Amino acid sequence: MEHIEEHFEHTETPADMKSQIWKTFWILLGFTVVDIFIYFMLLSTHAMWKNWVFIILGIVKAYYIVGVFMHMKFERKTLMYTIIVPMVFVVFFVTLMVIEGDFTNLLRWGK
Amino acid sequence: MATNTLSTEKKFTWGGGKSPFSVSYGKLMMWIFLLSDAFTFSSLLIAYGFIRYSFQSPIVNTLIKPFDHLSHEFVQEMVEKTKYFVQDHWPSPELVFNHFPFIHGVHLPLFFVSLMTFILIFSSVTMVLAVEAGHRMAKDEVSKYMLLTIIGGAAFLGCQAWEWTTFIGEGARLYGNPYGPRSFAALFFIVTGFHGFHVFSGVVLNVIIYINVLAGTYQKRGHYEMVEKVGLYWHFVDLVWVFVFTFFYLI
Repeated sequence: MEHIEEHFEHTETPADMKSQIWKTFWILLGFTVVDIFIYFMLLSTHAMWKNWVFIILGIVKAYYIVGVFMHMKFERKTLMYTIIVPMVFVVFFVTLMVIEGDFTNLLRWGK
Repeated sequence: MATNTLSTEKKFTWGGGKSPFSVSYGKLMMWIFLLSDAFTFSSLLIAYGFIRYSFQSPIVNTLIKPFDHLSHEFVQEMVEKTKYFVQDHWPSPELVFNHFPFIHGVHLPLFFVSLMTFILIFSSVTMVLAVEAGHRMAKDEVSKYMLLTIIGGAAFLGCQAWEWTTFIGEGARLYGNPYGPRSFAALFFIVTGFHGFHVFSGVVLNVIIYINVLAGTYQKRGHYEMVEKVGLYWHFVDLVWVFVFTFFYLI
């Protein structure tokens, strides 16, 4: 990962933008293929760890889409945090509600 | 940011007279809109996560493998809700979304959705290439890539229309479905419908911008920032699909 570009304090497009776009495209395509590969490897099983792999790969893909395609990596840090910090809390909320759903499951089906 | 430059930096950044975010008003507002839109999608995701986890896990399918022909007995078994589709268990997505256009009676889980994902990723790339060409003021390239993006978006919408038609044809409704819990199809229609509506709005916006590009509006204006703004929206739609794909089909 290029950490040099992250220190840009103004929104300038890097000179090698075109190659970065294609690199990101191959990364996104590759991760999607990995997703599908794991899906078919573990089809019809209850392996819990595959769900975590799917979620982590989803977050990695989100990083590349927001970072390169939406130009966020090259924006000012203030704008970056304005958008990212609220989303961190939202992800926390999603996690809480999934846990809550698990408790509801317990009450309904009482395992 | 180094500590010793912090005080002067702050005074100048927020002292007025310039944009603290180094982006134009329109782009900043597009970001804020996308944040609020992300909240809306998150609320749907919260509802989905909560409801799905409050049901029992899908029943593991051991009878049928990918590329198998869907035998009459197996389909009968599924339709009669005797074995795999029951009210207490969330249905297994691999047994629901296993169709492909023009191929009948073959078990092809995830194939069609993967195709839709690839179409959307590709249209995202053409969009960002249009933005990149806009920085170089290359009008022909911008219009070429905008057109490819519109075609990709329209293809995605067509795929979704086909998927909905198949799903509805099997008896899925907002108020019930033959696969199990009622909320399964309801959530599917609401979440993919809301996302599809975003894709549709994106295609409409892209068409408007494409016409403006062809008319030379942005060439006269001296910059292609409108292409960047709809580009942000289009990538957001792609981003949402990454999570819809993960949570609805993979998990």
